[in-house]
Amino acid sequence: MSHREHVEELLDAIGRSKLNAFITVDYEGARQQAEEADAGELDGRLAGVPVAIKDAISTKGLRTTCASKMLEHYVPPYDAFVVKKLREEGAVIIGKTNMDEFSMGTSTETSFFGPCKNPWDLERVPGGSSGGSAAAVAAHEADLALGSDTGGSIRCPASFCGVVGLKPTYGRVSRNGLVSYGNSMEQIGPIARTVKACAALFEVIAGYDPWDSTCRNVPVPHYGARLADEITGLEVGVPQDFFGEGVDPVVENATWEAIAVLESLGVHAKETSMPNLKYALSAYYIQAMSEASSNLARYSGIIYGHRVQKDHDWHTTFSENRASGFGKEVKRRILLGTYALSAGYYDKYYLKARKARVLISRDFRRVFKQFDALIAPTMPYAAFKIGEKNEDPLSLYKVDINTVPINLANVPSLSVPCGRKGRLPIGMQIIGDQFNEQLLFNIAFQFEQSTNNKHAV
Amino acid sequence: MITKTDVEKIARLACIDLDAEDMQAFTMQFNAILEYFEELEDIEAELTELEEHNVLRADEVTPSLPQRDALANAPRVENGYFRGPRIL
Repeated sequence: MSHREHVEELLDAIGRSKLNAFITVDYEGARQQAEEADAGELDGRLAGVPVAIKDAISTKGLRTTCASKMLEHYVPPYDAFVVKKLREEGAVIIGKTNMDEFSMGTSTETSFFGPCKNPWDLERVPGGSSGGSAAAVAAHEADLALGSDTGGSIRCPASFCGVVGLKPTYGRVSRNGLVSYGNSMEQIGPIARTVKACAALFEVIAGYDPWDSTCRNVPVPHYGARLADEITGLEVGVPQDFFGEGVDPVVENATWEAIAVLESLGVHAKETSMPNLKYALSAYYIQAMSEASSNLARYSGIIYGHRVQKDHDWHTTFSENRASGFGKEVKRRILLGTYALSAGYYDKYYLKARKARVLISRDFRRVFKQFDALIAPTMPYAAFKIGEKNEDPLSLYKVDINTVPINLANVPSLSVPCGRKGRLPIGMQIIGDQFNEQLLFNIAFQFEQSTNNKHAV
Repeated sequence: MITKTDVEKIARLACIDLDAEDMQAFTMQFNAILEYFEELEDIEAELTELEEHNVLRADEVTPSLPQRDALANAPRVENGYFRGPRIL
């Protein structure tokens, strides 16, 4: 099959789809890039491969909305660093995927363009915030996708949709061109149907970029070449803190069964504990909201973005633009962040959250002296129903209990399918020390091979 | 406890107009969320332990965004400038 035929197949699937996984599809651009690949004009490691991109990542000349009315008509004048890398390697950019507005959510229900649906059950959420990216890959509407993960936004939808998703080490991938939400915690990362494909995409987007001052200059290994490296004898920790109250017993069993498979491959697993993880949810939300309140201050409707018809004085105009351009969850987080940073409350909330981050990082450093990697359920349960958690924001925040500690500690975590509850996929995360993504890929690859990939899509 | 007046004040600081319905709902929700956050109250740690790397690039002059591109997304433009609301 030619690249053009393959792209046409995907565009057909997107056209017929009930998932609402895409906000913008680049029909013309995708066809043209595929034709160039067929003519041999594109070379590189991803020549002709269709990739979907989360709509929080800037694509030059292609609308980038962050699933917000605020950016409904925004067309970036430049490509994000990772998009430049994709183009250099010949990838076909097929479209921009649905997400929670400004990446703030765990279900892809807060999108201005309507909720995205789970390909395994259309009444359920695909997870979030990169829900469109994971759903598109799971439903074969794209071969690969990019997401971003501030507190679980790649791993959660990967887990709910039955695909592989990596939250990289903080500083491994440039954030240049990623619309900021919680900038001290977020990374762009790959989503794919297999570990090998995930590693191949990661290899392309990882690496140093002088335009992100937090990006680290560390050589990028050829991850794909070492997937079969020996994992016998590895020490893997299973922190009980990830199996707390609220974790579905079916998810717990699936995780332990996966650990048994790893043990059959010669990995040694041992229970451990990380007592400071109990602070992670509060620490994450306070920091993310505080950073959001500052990062989203730029949306005033003057330089770009949504602007109301009639101008008043600047304060009224800004306030009206922001009131009508942002959805409820974005407003909630900006307001709570503003409160947490305001005079008199800074010490009580923001400073305490930073201190909790110190304690959580310390827990991770300690366990990584003893273990090569950690295993835990990615999400406490399988995908929930659309609308089920709309009424109470705090109950939705608690869904992130197992994913947020990883972002606070700047470490990488790879979510891979490890079981099912009925039809619904369950994912486990393999967590490693900073810049040790290779080991996570190796463990996941050999797990996937020995289970015949039976849990995946 | 935060009150509706507090939420109104925060909304003004954040430049977001809230309608009466949101004001009511947010006040209740914020109290529940802030109460949850109080679990951090007793935490002590030295912030110097936090790993943060900020590496500045060399200060080299490179072409910036052309004016036309910079203005392309602006809702209102006049004579090559962004047109903002009046100040006074």
